[in-house]
Amino acid sequence: MNDYPDVVAKIVDDYLDRLRLRLCRIPPREQDEFLKEIQSHIFEAYRRSTDQDETERILAVLRKLGEPGEVVSDRLPERMVRSGARRILPMHVVGGILIALFGVPLGFGGAAVLVGVLTALAGAALAYFAVAAGVLLVSGTLGLFGLVRVYQPALWDTLVARGIIQLPPSELFEVLSPSSQAFVMITLACVFAAVGVTMLWIGKYLIRGLRFLFGMVCDWIRQWAQSARQAIRRQLSARETESGKAALRAVREPLA
Amino acid sequence: MKYRDEEKDRRITQLKKGILELAVMGALYHERHYGYSLVRVLTEDGSISLKEGTIYPILARLDRDGLVRSEWVESVQGPPRKYYALTSAGRQLFADLRQEFDVLVSLVKREWAVREDSETTQRKLLLRKR
Repeated sequence: MNDYPDVVAKIVDDYLDRLRLRLCRIPPREQDEFLKEIQSHIFEAYRRSTDQDETERILAVLRKLGEPGEVVSDRLPERMVRSGARRILPMHVVGGILIALFGVPLGFGGAAVLVGVLTALAGAALAYFAVAAGVLLVSGTLGLFGLVRVYQPALWDTLVARGIIQLPPSELFEVLSPSSQAFVMITLACVFAAVGVTMLWIGKYLIRGLRFLFGMVCDWIRQWAQSARQAIRRQLSARETESGKAALRAVREPLA
Repeated sequence: MKYRDEEKDRRITQLKKGILELAVMGALYHERHYGYSLVRVLTEDGSISLKEGTIYPILARLDRDGLVRSEWVESVQGPPRKYYALTSAGRQLFADLRQEFDVLVSLVKREWAVREDSETTQRKLLLRKR
């Protein structure tokens, strides 16, 4: 139908295949309609382009049209669903009954699962940062003890005697000289500090991921609420129009 | 501080995105168009360059909102074309939006004038101080 040369037809088919992949979330009928429209666009643009080389011509056309991702971007899939012929009323009724019987309870279940998963993720993130804070606290305490061991041996002995500092049960630590004990504690403090800081650094990405996830869910909810509101508004305006027409008929019929 | 080029581009793209829908409605106000002809009409004077594919999400959105109606028309050459035209609701909305747009444009221009005035005033004040 389009009479493209073979090489051009292959490029166009490949582009349309990539586009079709992006459209997998919308019903097949709307997919076909949209693809037909893009096919028409490509044909018109190709026909009007003046480049001598066929491959260059079609590539320029597709470049101007944009990548498949760009063409279907901007909330196209959800919004395309409504286009096309209106559905038959009995099918609406059957659909409504099915939704009432299964969809609503499942919907509540799904919402509960979603809330549960999000809460669990938020809890896991909180626990993660609590652990990171704990590790940094241990690091600080060990560093402080190391310094006390070196510079304030009397205070150290007092703290040990009062049981505020509990030495490890191993004899190895007691065998070490005070300066070696301080060195071990400060080294451990550095290791804990490194672990804590690394955890916080990784946590930055965790927070980003969670923010993205929460943002996406909020966006879904907002879009759903928006489409529901618009559907209700459309129904109301259709009813008003119908009642207006009926009123007009009622006025005109007696006159006729 | 020099404003970063990519930031500027992002803002220009945002601005165009907002106005493009109005421009599409404006083109459809006068006559019906199919996707490609609409792109040509919008870009023919070179005032705006756009990825041609971006027109379709806009048309789909207008269709969803009942502002345009569409119909397939067989073409003498090549595949059929999907023509779009504004519905009466779309025409009414476009008339309203256009008025709003004119107000906004005048507001933007007025801000320019105010800024020039204030600069002049500041200069006068500086001269007095000297």
